[in-house]
Formats: sequence, C-alpha cells, structure tokens
Amino acid sequence: MGRINTKIILLFIAALLILVLISLSQYGSSSAGFRYVREGYFFFHKAITSPVDVVSGLWSDYVDLVNTQQENIELKQKNDEMQIRCMNLEDLKSENERYRAMLGFKAAHKDFELIPASLLTQDITLVFKTAVIDRGRRNGFFTNMPIVSPEGVLGRVIDVTPHTSQVLLITDPNSSIPALIESSRIKGIVKGRGDGMLTLEYVRRTEDIHVGDCIITSSLLEIFPKGLKIGYINDIFKDERKLFSEIILTPCVDMEKIEGVFGISGNVADTD
Amino acid sequence: MWRIQISLLGILFFIIFIETSVIPFISQGLRVDFFIGMIIALVIYAPFSRGFIFVIISTLFLQAFTGARLGYISLFYMIAYLGLDLLKNIIYLESFTVQFLIGASFQVFIVFLAAIIVGMDVFPVGIYSLMTGAFFTGIVTPVMVYIVYRLQIAYEPA
Repeated sequence: MGRINTKIILLFIAALLILVLISLSQYGSSSAGFRYVREGYFFFHKAITSPVDVVSGLWSDYVDLVNTQQENIELKQKNDEMQIRCMNLEDLKSENERYRAMLGFKAAHKDFELIPASLLTQDITLVFKTAVIDRGRRNGFFTNMPIVSPEGVLGRVIDVTPHTSQVLLITDPNSSIPALIESSRIKGIVKGRGDGMLTLEYVRRTEDIHVGDCIITSSLLEIFPKGLKIGYINDIFKDERKLFSEIILTPCVDMEKIEGVFGISGNVADTD
Repeated sequence: MWRIQISLLGILFFIIFIETSVIPFISQGLRVDFFIGMIIALVIYAPFSRGFIFVIISTLFLQAFTGARLGYISLFYMIAYLGLDLLKNIIYLESFTVQFLIGASFQVFIVFLAAIIVGMDVFPVGIYSLMTGAFFTGIVTPVMVYIVYRLQIAYEPA
C-alpha cells in the first residue's frame, strides 16, 4: 500500500513539474536553474579538455621543434617571396579600401565589435539545433546577440550565463530571420528546417528569383545588422494555387565545420 | 544510496560531455543517446522511488543542453521510464538483444515525436543520420546498462 502511495506521489510530482516547465516556456522564460547547469558544465568541460589540450600542445610543440630547422629555411624563402607579393598587395589594399568606402560598407559597420568564441557543446537531440559557446555575460555577450562566422550568419544568443551563451542556430526549426535577396532586394523570412537547410518564406510567386541568388540579413527586427550573408537559393518550387514560392536555401556557413565564431557587439539598429 | 546517486550523476555529466561535445565533433548529424541505457538499468536494478527521482533530476540537466521547449525532454524520458517499468514483467529487459532494440527504437521514436511536436517533416532530418544514431544508441545501451549494474552491485551487493 505504502509503495503504491509513493508511486502516486512521485507521478503527481512529475506531472506537476512538466506542467510548470511547459508553462514557463509559454512565457519564453528560461529557468535560472538551467543556466546554473550550463555554467557548471563549463567548468566540468574545461576540467576535462584542459589536460587533453596541454598534452596535445606539448606533443605539437615537440613535433614543431623536430621540424624547425627545415621549416626555418622554407620560411625564409617564403618570406622573401611574400615581401615581393606585399608590395603588390599594398596597392590592391588601397584600391579595395577605396571601393569599400564608396559602397558605404565601412560606414555601416563601424560600430561593430567582433568578440571571438568557441563551441562548447551542441544540441543533444537531432531535431533541434542549438549550441553552447564558451563566452558569456562577462565577455560582453547578451541575449539576441548575433553570432557569425567568417562565412556568414550562424545564429543568435537565446540565453546567457556569466561564462556561456546558448545559441539558436539558423538551421533550428524555431529560428526566423528577416532577410532579403541581395540582387533584387525582395524581402522574406528565413526559417530553419532542422535538416541543415533553410527556407525563404513569404516571397510572392510572381517575383523574379533565381537559383544561386544570395540571401542577406535585413535589419527589420534590429537583431542582425543589415547585409550579412545567410545563404544561397538552392531550389525554387512554384505552385499556381499558392500565393508564395517555396524556396530552399543552402546556408553560407558549413554547419559541419563550425570552429571559431564571433559575437557582434555594438549598435545594429542604425544600419538600415 | 547517496553514493550511488552521486556516481550516477557523475556518469550523467560524462555522457553529456560525450553526447554534446565529442559526438558532434566527430559528425555533426550524428546523435547517440546514452541515457536510455541508464533508464533501462534503473528500471531493472533500482527501486521505483530511487530510479524515477534520478530520471526526473537527470532530465532537468539534459534540458539545459537542448533547444527543445522546457518540459519536453523530461516528458519523453519519464514516459520511457514509466513505459519500461510497466513492461518489465512482460519482456525480459536483461537481454542484450532487447536492450539493443529498445535503445535503437527509442532514438527513432524520440526524433519522430520531437519532429511532430515542432511541426516539421521527419524525413528532412536525414534518414541515414537517424538510422546511424539509432544503431549506435542500440550498441551503447547494453553497455550503459552494464555500467549501472556494476555500480549497483559495487555499492549494494546482493
């Protein structure tokens, strides 16, 4: 009898807990408890990976020493070659700067500060696409901070602790980003599909769009700065019974090879 | 009792490290579930009150590493625990083959359920990633059951 009572009480507690958690998520709240777990995991992860990093660092240093002399000779040769190339590059650089100034790119992005970070963990499920990075509030990260890689947009921060940030990747089914087609300036919403691909929604069937068109961010929600690359059109499906085209995108960032990422700090609101 | 619970939590943190850091580093599209093996072991070797409380606490830890809505991960694993607890007198959970099949099918089930809840098509997830993940989950499930079993008899010899 007592055992059955314990079972019933535990089941009641479990049901209550699930109801509370689901209710919390309705209000978009991420419990402080989960932040503590991620924060605790940060130190656990560092404790596990630090000795591995030290050993691999020592090994690579040893290998480096063995090859140093040969490398030194090769590097001297390369240095001479590079100096010659640099003269040419200086010219190209000044030319490039002139073009960038003409396009207003520099003026639009002058307020940005890029804060580097590394991936700590990725989502435990196959359907959802989130990641935890090793920079948090103490490093200047904040909720809704855009996260990019040199190839393009990666996602945005959805939760932040002192040492970690949880990032919602653009490929997650819950991710939506206001975007526009670079060449034609047609606006739409980029959504994740969960399989590593994206869709561009709310683009009228009659609009002139082509496979290979580049999709960039628009600063409609004032989360992402305008002009960051999101992806390229991979496929277009037009159904005469539907108002909007179905457009499949390939993300610019190869999600299989994410290494270093950057958080964009600074005012993005005045870039539109 | 506390020593077992703390040891299980240690194992849990280690499998979180494997699931979220090591496996995605090897292959982005591969997810292997180590936790279902622990659940089977708890159903077989631990009393309900202890096993169920551990599952409740563990799912709260797991929730911190996913973009799934709050409560869903807890719901999935609690259903798994309760379902296995009901079935333990009907099917022979100690069998490696049964453990393999439960592990593999749970991985497929959880992806389908999550996809339905999110409202997305299941197949774009990648049938090969799903099947590979299910296969490896099936492989590690008996291993996890054995680890928890060894832990149980180490602290509480029969």
